[in-house]
Amino acid sequence: MAKTKFHRDWYKLDNSAKIFPTVSNQTETNTFRVTVSLKEDIQADILQKATDHVLERYPMFKVKLKKGLFWAFLDHNSKPFLIQPMTHEICGEMIPHDNNGYLFKVMYHHRDIAIEMFHSLADGGGVVELLKSLTYEYLRLTGKKVTPDNIIATKDEKLEYEEYEDANVKYYNKKNRKHIPEKRAYRIKGTELETGLTGLISGTVDTKSMLTLARKNDMTVTEYLTSIVMYTIYVTQIQYREHLKSNQRPVKIFVPVNLRKHFPSRTLRNFSNFIKTNMMMNQSDITFEDIKVLVKNQFKEGIRKEELIRKMSENVAFEKNIFLRITPYILKQFVLKIGYSMLGIKLNTMSFTNIGRVVFPESMKPYIKDVTACVYAGKFNTVNCAIITYEDRFKMTFTRSIVETKIEREFFRFLRDQGLDIEIESNYVEESI
Amino acid sequence: MKYCNKCQVTIQTNHDYCPLCHQTLETVEKEDLVEKYPQAKSQLRAIHNPLKKIILFISLTAIIVLLVTNYLTGFHQPWSLIPIGGIVFFWMFMTLGIFSKNNIASKLLFLTIATILFVYMIDELSYSEGWALNYVMPLMLFSCNIGISLMILIKRINYRDYISYLLLIVVFSLAPMVLIVVNVIDVLWPAITSFGLAIFILLLIIFFFPKSIKDEIKKRFHA
Repeated sequence: MAKTKFHRDWYKLDNSAKIFPTVSNQTETNTFRVTVSLKEDIQADILQKATDHVLERYPMFKVKLKKGLFWAFLDHNSKPFLIQPMTHEICGEMIPHDNNGYLFKVMYHHRDIAIEMFHSLADGGGVVELLKSLTYEYLRLTGKKVTPDNIIATKDEKLEYEEYEDANVKYYNKKNRKHIPEKRAYRIKGTELETGLTGLISGTVDTKSMLTLARKNDMTVTEYLTSIVMYTIYVTQIQYREHLKSNQRPVKIFVPVNLRKHFPSRTLRNFSNFIKTNMMMNQSDITFEDIKVLVKNQFKEGIRKEELIRKMSENVAFEKNIFLRITPYILKQFVLKIGYSMLGIKLNTMSFTNIGRVVFPESMKPYIKDVTACVYAGKFNTVNCAIITYEDRFKMTFTRSIVETKIEREFFRFLRDQGLDIEIESNYVEESI
Repeated sequence: MKYCNKCQVTIQTNHDYCPLCHQTLETVEKEDLVEKYPQAKSQLRAIHNPLKKIILFISLTAIIVLLVTNYLTGFHQPWSLIPIGGIVFFWMFMTLGIFSKNNIASKLLFLTIATILFVYMIDELSYSEGWALNYVMPLMLFSCNIGISLMILIKRINYRDYISYLLLIVVFSLAPMVLIVVNVIDVLWPAITSFGLAIFILLLIIFFFPKSIKDEIKKRFHA
């Protein structure tokens, strides 16, 4: 029973993280991946060393999931963390037993370093910080002259409490927590891919031209692209079939909001909320302009401080409910599963994440080509999209659990028609069918 | 670099068709590339060992035959529960004891409790002599106590995984003492030995490792 090394070596799951361990399975994996592409081949032994160094700086990721009487929690993991070569699986199920108990993976392939993370541990913002530190440490160990410039957390720094706090609980407001019931969303149908296979198509455009294009339409980039996605869903899935029963549900795009930009917190754990666009598309004459107006309004409505706090408080209040708290964890799992199937996944047609800009110090820029982000695609959300920007490369990555690529095709053709040059990447999942 | 003139996009790949529209790509520049993503492979269905299926089939058939025979010969003496209990115990022993990936302390604890319940059932259904509670239960708890303590001493690095099970088994070891008080047990020495060891271990933890035990309780019971 040696003395513990850190002043704190176990963590309660944060508010959003509590739901994921009980509702994740082979198809709804709740994982996501951020990849950095360098300009040289990756050396596995150095990457392993870099990972070990970086984990000293981020003890909140060196954990495994354990069950308590009332809640699961994250406990310090004393087993070694091993990096692994990338396989064809994209955002697959995180099976702790196969991974020494860890809830994230570091993978390498050719020139890419990827971190795949289970959503209980962190959200996109947290993973980007981890990936930045890992890239820095890797480049430093390969003998490059790089400096952290206060942008990157290195292993010489000390951890701060702010980085692992549960910020949801900090900013929640008891009085503003009204629950607004929602209708089930439209689901994009298609031929299912085999379990374990995910199709991936990403398109890269120039950041400046993308920004100019959105500004020209008097919208932010996320608003503009969300409108295009909604329009593509309408054109490819619903138009001329408005009368069908399955098309009578509203199309809802789930757009996560990074709350670190709205509240002063530096936490690396989950601290995001969402905006949802919502439109009944069972009409024959919807134009892109209509959608643009609607999306703009719904974004404006959703991003208000009170609205963000309401959504946050709704979840925290659920967690703090005394009856739920005293239910033993074994029974609680059932409650959470039922709750999630009613209030969770089926309320979104698609999730559309904009992680934002990744900033590296000047000294690291010559070694980095670009950054990619993607999220899992499940049974209900069959097509998902994640966007990440590094310098002039604005990268949109679609993942899908269906064979059809209609939405991606129309989406990129639409952008192409606006005059953008698009560079495509794909994992060619078609080859395996 | 390749170009799809239908979608008007460029793509760097060795494949010959566009991932968006599945039409042939035009080659702009020939180059040797490593694909950005490892090639997706269709997973073959895992072949399960037929042995498990066969044993499961035999077990279920045996249980049904036993129940039917017992029913036809009169249910006032439920003798079939003993072999059925044996079959169920065998399955628990194999799946949760031998083949499970849980940590060894939890397996020890679980199997100890399962064995105690199993022998208690046999005792009650046969002659009700009380040997299960008098001898087997305290001595099983005694050895489980020693087992988990040794485990912690040997694999100290994993102590966080084991300590909560040690605590649980210590609590369970108080059961024989309670049974003495309510006069269910009449042989004293096994119960007292087991109780003594449990108290010894408990004091050992409280005096020498108070922080780890406090932390463990905090972790497991936070609401």
